[in-house]
Amino acid sequence: MEIKLTKIDNNRWLIPKTGNMRVPGLIFSSPELLKEVREGQSLIQVANVSMLPGIVGYSLAMPDIHWGYGFPIGGVAAFDMNEGIISPGGVGYDINCGCRLMTTTLRADDIKPYLKNLVAELFRNIPVGVGSKGTVHLSQKDESMVARKGASWAVKRGFGHPEDLEKTEDHGTLEGADPSVLSERAIKRGLEQLGTLGSGNHFLEVQVVDHIYDQKIAQRFNLFKDQITVFIHTGSRGFGHQICDDFLKEMVGKFQKTGSFLPDRQLVYSPLDSDIGRRYLAAMACAANYAWANRQILMHLTFETFLKTLAVSPGELGMSLLYDVCHNIAKKEYHTIDGRKTLLCVHRKGATRSLPPGHPSLPPVYKDTGQPVLIPGDMGTHSYILAGTHKAMDQSFGSSCHGAGRVLSRRQAIKMAKGRSIHRELEDKGIFVQSRGKQTLKEEMPEAYKDVSQVVEVVHQAGLANKVARLRPLGVIKG
Amino acid sequence: MDIKNTFYTVLDHTADLRVRIKGDNMVNLFENAGYTLIDLMLNIGRHEKPDNIKIDISGIDIPDLMVRWLSEILYLFEGENLIVTGINIDNLTPDRLKSHLEVIHYNHRIHEILMEIKAVTYHQIEVTENNGIWTANVIFDL
Repeated sequence: MEIKLTKIDNNRWLIPKTGNMRVPGLIFSSPELLKEVREGQSLIQVANVSMLPGIVGYSLAMPDIHWGYGFPIGGVAAFDMNEGIISPGGVGYDINCGCRLMTTTLRADDIKPYLKNLVAELFRNIPVGVGSKGTVHLSQKDESMVARKGASWAVKRGFGHPEDLEKTEDHGTLEGADPSVLSERAIKRGLEQLGTLGSGNHFLEVQVVDHIYDQKIAQRFNLFKDQITVFIHTGSRGFGHQICDDFLKEMVGKFQKTGSFLPDRQLVYSPLDSDIGRRYLAAMACAANYAWANRQILMHLTFETFLKTLAVSPGELGMSLLYDVCHNIAKKEYHTIDGRKTLLCVHRKGATRSLPPGHPSLPPVYKDTGQPVLIPGDMGTHSYILAGTHKAMDQSFGSSCHGAGRVLSRRQAIKMAKGRSIHRELEDKGIFVQSRGKQTLKEEMPEAYKDVSQVVEVVHQAGLANKVARLRPLGVIKG
Repeated sequence: MDIKNTFYTVLDHTADLRVRIKGDNMVNLFENAGYTLIDLMLNIGRHEKPDNIKIDISGIDIPDLMVRWLSEILYLFEGENLIVTGINIDNLTPDRLKSHLEVIHYNHRIHEILMEIKAVTYHQIEVTENNGIWTANVIFDL
């Protein structure tokens, strides 16, 4: 299937509505980035998503678009609440995979002599890797509370502070969670993985602010040049994977009986207004809450490790949460459609929310700046902090990209890394890395990803979010 | 069990893992698919005497059955800490699979994890037969 693109401008490309497509596709990209996009199958996936019932506006792809399963990674699609659908594959297995950024009052020079030791201690204290077990062992009753309450459960247990919740998307608790809809398998897998980082592209990075683009907003975000920050990227672990898997299989079984057309079985869906649709949303909210509790706990473990390793007081460290955002989720949100405020179910699969100044869902502290949008890059280059915009609300249901986006398959990356020491190469650039998996560093090496600065530039130029600051990695731990 | 990867090929996929598995017949294909999943995830080496468990899975068609079968083996590892070391399929139809599995308990001191597979996806799942050779294309989420 060949996908024809029509150029709108240097940052936006249209897939005209043809065949079974219900709406056109809209790709945010640049001529340079598009060359790589065309090599995979992600544009076909944008077209496939546009065929789902009740889709509103466009089937969207953010600038980090790449080939996923079902939805493309970087895909955004909004559905009408009455005629629309919910697709577990449109959320992904790692429900509420997301990013959390903490600022400190330390400068790069303050930690330079201790950096290698700090990375080693973080690696020791934060459970990483496949099958790692968390420092928090849950009873089933506790797990149920985590699923209902999310990050606020963790704060009540002493992991962090109540003010952290204000700076977490949805205050770290997605409404509508109902643990009674979960399978025994999901419950079992959630018991031992709270407070773990996981593997693959999940990471914890110690970074330094190396460039400020918008001084005014940076000040409001408490950011300054040479400042030490910590970036965490992880999600709902095996608990979320199992929930997605359970509902995909149930929906596949039911869907066949409807005789409806489906371009890709991974896109299987149920009407939002159905028993299984409602049960999935209740289960998905449980996983979203688990992920927020997970990142809250990891933040606290990081805080404790910094205190101990650097021998500083909490006041001297000054660690506080800048923001926590999810990038694999489906959420009920109000958007303006044909001039009318309309409730929609927005799927973001590898896409970050980007709310503008004045949005009612923002905490008072960010009311006049817009939401902090956190965009991690690969472990050898930069990450970015941006601020949400009104243009994002107009163009992308208030969404932006979620990262650099892979450009090499893991197999290609391992091949390219043959005979090289990625660990040493990064250390030569002043980045200390510790990882658990044998192949992780090769699979995740910088060349495996798109140039995040190009991706962020498209976001900025298209007006999906505005650049505020750039962060450079100093230390990385991975699974 | 000595797993040889002669019956599967890893194909390129930008974000996830795409694998082509072959078998001499449908039963052999399903057995090979199970061994492929374990081989991708783990380096087992020598192991103690396995336990036996029974599984019985239903699907709506052969591709669905393949996804459910592999998901079951994945769950045994992720949820029960059991590594499948032997597969004996007792009965296989396009919508049902009954099998005896030999399993050992995962021990992090002995067994090396090679990669985390989050899930077996339905994306571009294919099971075909051509001149007596059965082929499955499966994409795993990493």
